[in-house]
Amino acid sequence: MKRRMIRTGTVLRLLVFAALLAFLLAPDRFAGLLTPLTNNGAPAIYNQGTLLDLTLSHLVTVGLSTVAAAIVAIGLAIFVTRPAGAEFLALSRAIVNIGQTFPPVAVLALSVPIMGFGEGPTRVALFLYGLLPIFENTLVGLSTLPPAVVETASAMGMTGRQRLLKVELPLAMPLIVEGIRLSTVIGLATATIGSTVAAKGLGEVIVAGLLSNNLAFIVQGGVITGVLAVLISDGFEALAHRMAKRRGASSEARQSDPDGQRSGA
Amino acid sequence: MIELSHLTKVYGDTAVVNDVNMEIEAGTITVIVGTSGSGKSTLLRMVNRLVEPTEGRVFLEGNDVSTMPPHELRRSIGYAIQNHGLFPHWTVARNIATVPMLLGWDRRKVEARVEELMELFQLDHAQFANRYPHELSGGQQQRVGVARAMAAKPALLLMDEPFGALDPIIRSKAQSDLKAIQRRTGTTILLVTHDMAEAVHLGDRIAVMDAGLLKQYAPAADILARPADAFVDDLIGSADRPFRYLTLGKVRAAVEPGDAEGAPLAADASLYEGLGELLWSGRDAAPVIDTAGAPLGRISLESIAERAARPK
Amino acid sequence: MTTLANAETSRAATSRIDRFGVVIAAFLIGALALPFATLRATRIASGTGLQLFDALPATTMVAVLAVLAATIGAALASRRPAVRLALGALALAALALAAGAAGAHLMPADNPYARVAPASGFWVALFGAAMLVTDASVRLKLGPAGRIVALVVTATLIVGLFASGAWSHLSIVAEYRNRADVFWRETINHVILAAGSLAAAIAVGLPLGILAYEIKAVRDPLINVLNVVQTIPSMALFGILIAPLGWIAMNVPGAHALGIRGIGMAPAFLALFLYSLLPMVANTVVGLNGVSRAVVDAARGMGLTGRQRLFQVEMPLALPVLLTGIRIALVQNIGLATVAALIGGGGFGVFLFQGLGQTATDLILLGALPPVALAFAAAVVLDAIIEISGRGKA
Repeated sequence: MKRRMIRTGTVLRLLVFAALLAFLLAPDRFAGLLTPLTNNGAPAIYNQGTLLDLTLSHLVTVGLSTVAAAIVAIGLAIFVTRPAGAEFLALSRAIVNIGQTFPPVAVLALSVPIMGFGEGPTRVALFLYGLLPIFENTLVGLSTLPPAVVETASAMGMTGRQRLLKVELPLAMPLIVEGIRLSTVIGLATATIGSTVAAKGLGEVIVAGLLSNNLAFIVQGGVITGVLAVLISDGFEALAHRMAKRRGASSEARQSDPDGQRSGA
Repeated sequence: MIELSHLTKVYGDTAVVNDVNMEIEAGTITVIVGTSGSGKSTLLRMVNRLVEPTEGRVFLEGNDVSTMPPHELRRSIGYAIQNHGLFPHWTVARNIATVPMLLGWDRRKVEARVEELMELFQLDHAQFANRYPHELSGGQQQRVGVARAMAAKPALLLMDEPFGALDPIIRSKAQSDLKAIQRRTGTTILLVTHDMAEAVHLGDRIAVMDAGLLKQYAPAADILARPADAFVDDLIGSADRPFRYLTLGKVRAAVEPGDAEGAPLAADASLYEGLGELLWSGRDAAPVIDTAGAPLGRISLESIAERAARPK
Repeated sequence: MTTLANAETSRAATSRIDRFGVVIAAFLIGALALPFATLRATRIASGTGLQLFDALPATTMVAVLAVLAATIGAALASRRPAVRLALGALALAALALAAGAAGAHLMPADNPYARVAPASGFWVALFGAAMLVTDASVRLKLGPAGRIVALVVTATLIVGLFASGAWSHLSIVAEYRNRADVFWRETINHVILAAGSLAAAIAVGLPLGILAYEIKAVRDPLINVLNVVQTIPSMALFGILIAPLGWIAMNVPGAHALGIRGIGMAPAFLALFLYSLLPMVANTVVGLNGVSRAVVDAARGMGLTGRQRLFQVEMPLALPVLLTGIRIALVQNIGLATVAALIGGGGFGVFLFQGLGQTATDLILLGALPPVALAFAAAVVLDAIIEISGRGKA
């Protein structure tokens, strides 16, 4: 029963992915679907650059900043959970809590005066905001390990580094992946808004639609970004789920945290 | 083999372990027994430096442990705890192989050792080697935990309430198995428990701790016969004392010439088991046979009762 | 846990220098090397940075330097949180006053179009002092009431400074003055969007959550759908909703009269409502699920009906988790409502996106700072309420 449900889900995702790919590769074939949304003979498919290009630069922007954010955030979380960084632990928790009340769009807008227009402020905002969920989740993952397991790792004669690499990080991994998922989802949304500060990305299509009152643009931009975000988020979720399941941890890692938050963009 | 000298651990204002001196003989099982908060776990954890003593020293084969790098010291000492602490992301085989891998053993040697241990602990290799800890029962997890602790053939094995999470039937089997394995391997075991019955059952020598102080350290029979003070007396339980004492003796030791009716008793059974059998079957005496089934004589209620009385 | 405890004891034994204090001191000293204020000929011209020495009248400059020096001293030499909190707060106040003073000092009398704004030195020092205050408050373990009092005091001081005219020469205030009535109208719009959609989400989400808790077959599909909604970028969802709402406005009689339009507040409100449903429903389910089985069993054993159990036992015990859902949704909504301006929905985003369009930094700040402050205040207040509601229920 459960297995069948998972399978239908997978089939559905594959179909949606195939449809998205088809639309991005040959958007003109779908023009007929969108024409009813246009007025006065306006174009039905965005024509200031190919949708595929925009999608790819959108993904590259989000991917680069999320990877950078993940490296820094995981590194910092490791640092504050080691003896050497312990005195920064309480403060870093507080900063993350406060930081997460900052709307990503505000972070984006505030980096424009410093960085100027273009990809710069978007990347900076995505990086800064992306740090928070990954740092928080890594911290939770590393500081809520079963004490018996961590102690035995030491008692077996693992050095600090061995314990971190062989035991602590692998056990915290499902939560870390969940943090990366959250960062990516927020990043995809913020990058969309990045188009208002001239970053190349899918938001461009929506903005163009809003400016020229072309519903077809708005809908295609919205659907592509939406579908992209849902598919990517699903992929991360499946990964975290699989990792958690193998070790018999509660497979509900993603739903079990009532404090999990996303002050979205 | 192990010497604890003036060992003291102070947290805040309280001495959790207070000036403990002990010598532990190689190849024996020594049980530290005490109530919770008596400092018994802290004492144990100072041996492999999971806790650093405030004062005093621990000598292993004459070497001061504080002079060895902690991780190398710990690799040479086995360690098993109540909640087994198995690594949930590793298979049973990988868990058992932890210390040999840390020591950089040859791959084939590690595999052979894992198989050997799984056999010793009655875990079918084909069935269990590739399972994850959460797929095992509590008793199996506990056996894997002990097997892992013994993987690199440590001369010394530290155990902190290793059977605490098991239900009574599995626990008593696990205790007997551990004793048998210890007799075969000759590992020195230092075990912590709050259960006096477990201490008497397993311990060659028993150390009783209370409020950080070592109250008495003696062979099990001496502890039962001559408790050092009211606390030790209390821990044994006055009503249980004669029966505890009987668990230490074998039927063989109380055999007298003659014959008796009914089912025979094994010479290797404990006097405690013998008493139970006689009382339950309503007999005054029973025949005794050795492992080969040859008759050795008989055992009577009277001769058991003699051995349950406080030694003069 | 063991490792951290060990780490702290060993640290206390070995290290005498507080490295956190060193970091804060480095921030404050670094800030002194950066320009404290910027002077621009017009609101969109590029400006010249002025050091503290040039930006303030001599006496004020000396006073500010003295306060900053004392704060650096406290960060380096004192480990007592109370001392650090006091000096950190003093430094924040000094910086706020100095910014206003710089405005008054630098504003040329002959050019009303000139703008004075705090520059990087000010912001870095502000960040350093804020970190010191944050760290000290964490260490003092302020209770919920204490935190709310601190928030109210801070807010009062800011409003006081604003009303007293101390900041009137600063560029962000100049931007505000030019559009004061629009600002308050958009403030109201922002609050309606954020809080109104949350109220609607509470009204719908609570019953839905209870339903999902009672009927297992509803739970997974419902949460999955809401999860998908939550994942869709706000601009995309705003955009996607324009089409159906536009259609309804055109074709359903009376809909237009109710204020339903394809563009404007309606799609923004609907999108925020949909976003808030997930935290509401999920936290209701998690909260109810988290009520101890023993307590529920006892209630059942004593003969409480299903409804009595729900309202007298389960809901009160689940309250902290429910409130956490409200906190998440509210903070998220305050941020997302900023984006609504893109589809004509109003709110602070109007100034933010106008500012971006005109490359007017001050206007961007006017649009970006209020939602940050609002979200922060909402988080502090709701966190305090959550903590109070959770007492004795752990």
